[in-house]
Formats: sequence, C-alpha cells, structure tokens
Amino acid sequence: MQIIENSKVKEKLYKEKLENGLTVMIIPKKGFQKKYIIWGTNYGSNDSSFIVPGENNVTEVPKGVAHFLEHKLFEQENGVNSLDALTALGVNANAYTTNNHTAYLYECTNNFYEALDEFMDYVQNPYFTDENVEKEKGIIGQEIMMYDDYPEWKVYLNTLEAMYHNNPVKLDITGTIETIGKIDKDILYKCYNTFYNPSNMAMVVAGDFEPNEILEEIKKRLIKHKPNGEIKRIYEDEPKEVVKGKIEQNMEVSKPLYTIGIKDVVPDTQTKVKKHIAIEILLNILIGSSSNLYKQLYEMGNSYSVPSIEYEFDKTYAHILITGQSNNPEDLFEMFKQKVKEIKDNGINKDEFERTKKMIYGEYIKEYNDIVDISRMFLSDYFKGINSFEYIEEINTIYIEFVEQVLKEVFNDKKMVLSVVKN
Amino acid sequence: MEYNQIEIKKGIKLHTIQTNKFKTNLIAVMLTTELSKENVTKNALIPMILRRGTQKLKTQEEINKKLEEMYGASIGCGLEKTGDNQVLKFYIESVNDSFLPQKSENMLKTSMQMLLEMIFEPYIENDTLKKQYVIQEKENLKQIIQGKIDNKSRYALDRCIEEMYKNEPYGLYKYGYVEDLEDINEKNLYEYYKYLMDNCKIDIFVSGILNEDIKTMIEKNDTFNKLNDRTPQYIMPEIKEKKSEKENTIQDSMDVNQGKLIIGLDLDFNQEDLRYDTMIYNSLLGGSANSKLFQNVREKASLAYTASSSYLRLKNNILINCGIEIENFEKALNIIKEQIEDMKKGDFSEVDIENAKKGIIDAIKSIDDEQDTEITYFFGQELSNIKIDIKGYEERVSKVNKKNVIDIANKVSINTIYFLRN
Repeated sequence: MQIIENSKVKEKLYKEKLENGLTVMIIPKKGFQKKYIIWGTNYGSNDSSFIVPGENNVTEVPKGVAHFLEHKLFEQENGVNSLDALTALGVNANAYTTNNHTAYLYECTNNFYEALDEFMDYVQNPYFTDENVEKEKGIIGQEIMMYDDYPEWKVYLNTLEAMYHNNPVKLDITGTIETIGKIDKDILYKCYNTFYNPSNMAMVVAGDFEPNEILEEIKKRLIKHKPNGEIKRIYEDEPKEVVKGKIEQNMEVSKPLYTIGIKDVVPDTQTKVKKHIAIEILLNILIGSSSNLYKQLYEMGNSYSVPSIEYEFDKTYAHILITGQSNNPEDLFEMFKQKVKEIKDNGINKDEFERTKKMIYGEYIKEYNDIVDISRMFLSDYFKGINSFEYIEEINTIYIEFVEQVLKEVFNDKKMVLSVVKN
Repeated sequence: MEYNQIEIKKGIKLHTIQTNKFKTNLIAVMLTTELSKENVTKNALIPMILRRGTQKLKTQEEINKKLEEMYGASIGCGLEKTGDNQVLKFYIESVNDSFLPQKSENMLKTSMQMLLEMIFEPYIENDTLKKQYVIQEKENLKQIIQGKIDNKSRYALDRCIEEMYKNEPYGLYKYGYVEDLEDINEKNLYEYYKYLMDNCKIDIFVSGILNEDIKTMIEKNDTFNKLNDRTPQYIMPEIKEKKSEKENTIQDSMDVNQGKLIIGLDLDFNQEDLRYDTMIYNSLLGGSANSKLFQNVREKASLAYTASSSYLRLKNNILINCGIEIENFEKALNIIKEQIEDMKKGDFSEVDIENAKKGIIDAIKSIDDEQDTEITYFFGQELSNIKIDIKGYEERVSKVNKKNVIDIANKVSINTIYFLRN
C-alpha cells in the first residue's frame, strides 16, 4: 500500500489500487468509536449519454437514472431490503447522488464486519423488477416535490440554468416526474453494468483500523471482475458565455434569496487546487465576514448573515456561487461588481491576503475532526483527480500575484449571473 | 476522554472534557433562564447585540478580523428551547496549538478570553448598549422571526408545537415576537441584560487537548472574576403525565407543492426512567428505516419520501413528520393511525426490539467522536440533574422488553393533527 503522510495535520492516508481496478483509501483514526465506510462510483446525474465499453453506439437514458439506481440498489433478490438489514444491525446507513458521483455508506460503533457483508453484497448485486421499479416512482416523486418547496434549492438550480446552455449540471439530480416515468429495469441494469465496474469506483474507510487488516477484509468480499475499459461520456459543447444575466422565481419567502453565479472555464489538471484556493481567498476578501463590502451591506440592512461562498468544478464545468438572503439583491450584485473592479484596479491588500490565508489554513485543518467529513472529502476529491492533502500543502505556495491574476481571469462581469427567489 | 465538573462560583459550573481526538478546542458557554413570553424576544436579541462589539473590539469587523488572525477561529451563538427554559449558547472553536505552523500564542487562552469578553463585556456607549446596534439588530431579529415561513417543514413542526402548547411557555417561538420588539430600546435591554447575567445559570464547557489547568486559567481571568455568585433562575425539567381526550385538527394554507403532515402525540406517564422504553417505542414507530411509519407509509404505500417520528423527552411528546401529496391526507393519516394502534396491540417482535436497541446504543457510543454532541449530552444531564454515564445508559437500554414497549404504546394519545397545505 502506498502511504501518504501529512505532517501538518498529522494524518496518514493508505492507498491501494486493486487488481480489479478498485481504489481503496484508508485513513486510520485512533481512539475513535465510530467507523465509517463510503463506496462511490464515478457516475452521477450528468452521465446520461455515453458509449458502453465494447459498443459503438451512443446510449441515451432519461435524466435521473443515477439517483433512481441509488434508491433501488438496496433491493435484494431474497426480498430483503439492505437498508433495513443494515439498520437492524444498529448501523446508520445511507446513500446519495451528486452531479458526478453516487455513493453508498454506513457508520457504526458495533457490528462493522457483519454490516460489511451486507454492504458489499448489495452494492455488487443489483436486483431490479418491474414491480419494485414502479413502486419507487411514488417515493422519488415525493422527494422531488420536497425539493420543490426548498427555496435554497430553487435559487441554486436557477443559477445554473442561467449560466449553462447545454451542460447537464443545470438539471435536477433527481430528474423530473416526467423523466423518471420513463425509467425501467432494463435501463437500470444497463447503467449499473456500465458504471458499477470496480475500475470506475473508489472506496474510503476511516476509523480505528489496522490498514492491512481492513484491506484484506474488503478484498475477501469483492466479486471477481475484470476492469471494463474506458467509458466514453458524451457532453455537448458548452459555450463560454452565460445564457442570461438574470433569472427570477416567485415563492413564498420572507426575504429574497439570491445566488450570484460566475461561470468559469474548466481548470487545468496542474493548477486546479491552487486555483481553488485562490478563489476562496478572493471571495473572502471580496465579500467575507471581515470585508468592507459585507460591513457596508450589513450597515445598510441589506444582508444579515455572511453569504456562503463556493467554487464547484469537475471535468466539464466550473463556477463560483455566492448565496445569501438580501432585501435588495440587485443592489448587492452591483456593489459586488464594483468591488471586483476596485480590487482589480488597486490590487489586493497584503495584510488582508495574509490574514485570509491563515483563516483558510485553519479551516482546512478543522476538516480533519470528523471521520465522516474526512471520508467524503477524500472520495469526492478523488473523483476530481485530487488528493485532499494537497490543499494543506499548496496553500503555502500561493502568492498575491497569482491570486490577482485569477481575479482578472475569472471575475468577469459578462460571466456573472444573478438568480433571485422572492415573493 | 475524561470529563470533570466543578462549581467555580455559586451558580456557575466549569465542565472540562479532556480528549486527544480533535484538531480543535471547543469552548461553549450556556446561559439558562426561564422561558417566558415577557423575556423570550429580549433573550433572542441579546446574543445578536453581543456579537456586534466588545469593550476591546468595538465592531463586528474588528471581531471578525481578530478571528481570522487566529487561524479562522469561529464564534457562534445559538438559541434553544430546553424544557421550559431558554438557553443562550455561545461557542468558540479554534485550532489547537499542535496543528499550527508556528508556536506563537496559547490559542486556548486567547479563545477563552475572547468568548468571555463577548458575553460579559459588551460594547458600551453613554453608559448603555450602543443605540445603533440595538436598532439594527431589532430589524435583523424581525426578519429572522418573519423568516420562519421559509423552511416549510420546520414551520409545520413549530406550528404543531405552538398549537399543542397554547398559552404555555413551551409553545413560544424561540426567536420571540415582532410585536414585542417595538418596546425594546438600548436602555431597557441593557437593564434586562444585567439582570440576566446576574441571575441565569452559567455552564462553561471546555473540550480539547487541555495541557493546563482550566480552572486556574479561568480564575485568573479578569472578565470572569467580575461575575457574581447567584441562585440561578431556571426550571429543572420534570416530566408530566399527558393525555388528550380529543384530537385537535389544524390546517394552515401556504404556497407549498407538498403537504406537510405533523402529528403530536402525548405520553401519559411521569416516571423519568421510562424514557428508555419510550426511546425503543419511538424507534419502532418512526425512528428508523425499519420503523412502522417508514415501512408502511413510504415503502409499502409509496405515499412519502419523509415518514418519521422524533421523541421530545423533556416534554413527554412524540412528533410524527410526513411530506405527502396534498390529496393523500386522509389516506396517510389512516395508515399512521393504524401504526399507532398496531403498536398498542404489540404487533412487533422481540427481534425488532433488539434491533432498535442496537441502533440506539450505536448512536450513544459515538457521542464522544464529536465535540459539540458530547457537550450537548453533558449539558442535558446537567440541566435535568440526572447523571448516567454511557455504560449505564447502554445497560438501561438493554433491559427494555416487549411488555415495557407495549405499556408505553398504551400511554400514547393523539393531541394534535397539523397539516400545512396549499
């Protein structure tokens, strides 16, 4: 096993790529009661058009299959639902789907290996029938409607709709009532067989484990598989321009919710971590809790809480999101653009820069408090081609000139959109 | 992990949790006071004012800069209803010295100083709180109160509790009321603040890698030394028998896509010790994926994505929570009622009980893997004055049998059926 140690946060990562192509990552945490395992496949809601290895034709499936599959994988041929079986062991099991990966997980203090039997069995043995697929449509339909009542979800999705012409990241992960209506068991099997090959998957384990021991236990439970070769995923070309500058929706909310989106080009492999850190620094300087702009907005009664800031990126898209509640999102948007211009013209203040770096360093360290956070972070970074420790190492190599350059390249008025949900 | 507590002044307790598992130190200060209509809004406003400035750091901006300088230490304020008390929570989380690039300062000591200053030495102008801060925070609080409609599921839950506890302290909204904001000004708020600081129960929790004696550290702290001994004014939680003769049905209309159905249940017993039996009952009814509600409302009838129940121990209630198609109200309600009845008849197995125990024990054992959860756990014990360690807890849960759970089931009655629809 490869051992990667980080001396700053004092943690070790054990990493092994197995013969069948599965990558296993182990982060031992001595003294923890809880054990956590997460098993992900590099397959999310964005992957609805692809060429199955060995075939020539493009397969198109309805939107929402990855998420539907996640729900149905728990079903077993012997009639047992694996979520029930895991719950009966006292472990806390769950699963989730994002734009680019699907993950199955559980955490527990007891019965880890009994649960591992069930866990690895159900992820490797799908059982879909017409009946169990039909039944799920009602449940997922209610999940979709639940999200329809979340203004924070709507303001987010609308932002993506205003930014993207073609990229499927703008669509609901769950699909819609209409698209899930078209899903049947054959579609689920086809997607399962394509994307749930070990070579397309990764597993992360954290807790009080002896790395070699847990690795052997995992190997024992794996079904023999050959790596299935490259899956070609098809995405339409995405123009650099946004679709429209503004988007609005009415919902019953006490105060408008807003998201400012900034469309970016996909960061290149070599510099993506550095670029991510630079953007975090910039957003904090621009509109973070100690920024001049936030102070102004607060005094004006425009914004109460500090906006949340995020840089989302993957192999086919990248964007910045700034989200909050404001009495006047239009004003806030103008003031933000003004602030960007000001810093572009005058440069970044050195004290502010150093202070912000310190803060972000502390935040990276804090991410290693919880085994759940650690595991999820390593898994999602892995699918982006990143080892999470890189953030702690790279932050010291970031200079003010680089950050100013990122500011000029990324924070362009023409790439910004404003999404608002209000009464 | 090693937990200790000591009364450092009358009515003020220090709790220390020595643990090597985390990268951070977490300090929390809880101020506990009786929940009342008269003071609920003022209590909600106070943390917001305190966050604005201290005698040393006069503005929010200065506070935030200082926190960034401390490698992103974070300060937070929270507000909870715990039994018939309102708890004002303040905490600061900072990276432990062993994970900082250069050894410069004692981060724990700096953090403690900063948090105590924020709570006990607010920024004062003309012998009172700063007028502008009070005006601005009143407006912010108003918006928070009005914002309760934004999260529809949470709103439905709060409305159901409000209906169940009409004209009682527990029915109060924890952020207070817009109409009570009008009469608050910097002078009367400051007077109330001083009264609160002299009369509330104070608990200070410190969790992390503690290399020095925390009691000594606090006793040397000037801010702390100005605090007076006190006889804390709060309500020791005590469970009471609850039984409703008649179901109260309430429907509200709002612009929602999905109906939110909340059912408030009463529990007719007053023995504290029965809470373990009730935890098992709740787990079987709606507390897990194997529960009757999840299996029957969601998996069999496909009526819902969310179908669960939660146990409000201190108030002797269980709340059922479902998101359903609006037209399925009757259908879902009937299935839920059937589950409550089936529980009374003992329509579950010993195996179900054993499985429920495993889930509860698993959750309880992992408490000391999270700093804030552990603090909340010990604070709960402090308030109710019931001391039971994790092992004792586990043993008590293990003893629950089928008859115990049936007994609980037969003490359950429906108090309120609340439905939020369009």
